[in-house]
Amino acid sequence: MERFIDRLIDEFDSGKLGRREFCETMALATAVLASGGAAANAAPQRGFTMLGVNHISYQCPDYRVARDFYRDVFGMQVLNDKGMGRANLAFGPAPDSGGNFLVVHNPGNNPRPPTQGLVDHICFTVANWNEPQIKAELAAQGLAQRSRGGNGTMRVIDPFDFDVQFGNHIAENINEP
Amino acid sequence: MKAFVASKLDDYSKGKISRRQLLESLTVAAAATAATGGAQAAPAPNRALKAALVNHISYQCPDLRRVADWYSRVFNMEQVTYPSEPSQIGMPFGRRNQKPLGVTANDVPTSYIVVRTRNPNGTAADKGALARPASRAVIEHVAYTVADFDRDRAAAELRALGVQNVRNGGLYSLHMADPFGFDIQLSGVANNAITDGA
Repeated sequence: MERFIDRLIDEFDSGKLGRREFCETMALATAVLASGGAAANAAPQRGFTMLGVNHISYQCPDYRVARDFYRDVFGMQVLNDKGMGRANLAFGPAPDSGGNFLVVHNPGNNPRPPTQGLVDHICFTVANWNEPQIKAELAAQGLAQRSRGGNGTMRVIDPFDFDVQFGNHIAENINEP
Repeated sequence: MKAFVASKLDDYSKGKISRRQLLESLTVAAAATAATGGAQAAPAPNRALKAALVNHISYQCPDLRRVADWYSRVFNMEQVTYPSEPSQIGMPFGRRNQKPLGVTANDVPTSYIVVRTRNPNGTAADKGALARPASRAVIEHVAYTVADFDRDRAAAELRALGVQNVRNGGLYSLHMADPFGFDIQLSGVANNAITDGA
């Protein structure tokens, strides 16, 4: 770690790294150090070390409808909504410390052509899982008919018929298939 | 941590502390933060349904092996196969039982990508998945956070790995195409819900 910080200071001194970048890099490095051991911090020979999902870009006919749905149903925080056809919906850890976000946006002027690969659903982890209460909240929001599942994993169809799954750490855990 | 780093950096810039003192204080602070568990998770919500993190992204494509190998080659991701589900491969972010970045809670597991090749004539589960109403929303791209991100270095590395359609995505990120043309963005934590679109 000391060598890493030493190199950062060099880059700061030489003007390669700004004050903001320095602080962000230090915060990230500390978070990485906290979340894993030495092996996890070792740089790979080739390619990259994945830390996680940054964001998911969700395109729909009216971003305001999606914004309100994900805010109200999944408790996401609306950020950077300037009324210009897009908004960020933050969730999880702090935005600069591993937090995820959904970018909901209207179609742009140059939409990407369809591809052979596609994301057919996304799944969110819900902590402190309380299934009766979750079902009650969905019903209170008029989503009882658009949701299904149980025993730690459920699905809800969003206003644009996109399939959204959510579950707890027992039912949806790659380390415990 | 960030405020502490900013404060020490200011002291150093103004000549109040030496380079050695800066190095020592940051090293000690980083070690102390790591020892106490790092960034804290958001406080427990008083609502039951609240997204804590992406659990997984389900990606459908014509050839799951080709995509899984691509992710393993470019992002050093492990592959988890399911004996009962030969048409899917899971790829976790990070090593087994390692906590996700910024998470301290014990009930928020590692995020992962699950790659699937759906077979219209396949199992009931496959057919059920296809029976959903057609979505009017599309996931246009997915962005991943990688360690030690530097845009120029990352672009050179991606091109050296033979990745197609590598291009800049604003100040803090890159975009690229996966083997089936799906758009993937790459950044460090500097690209986040506050800076993106600000």
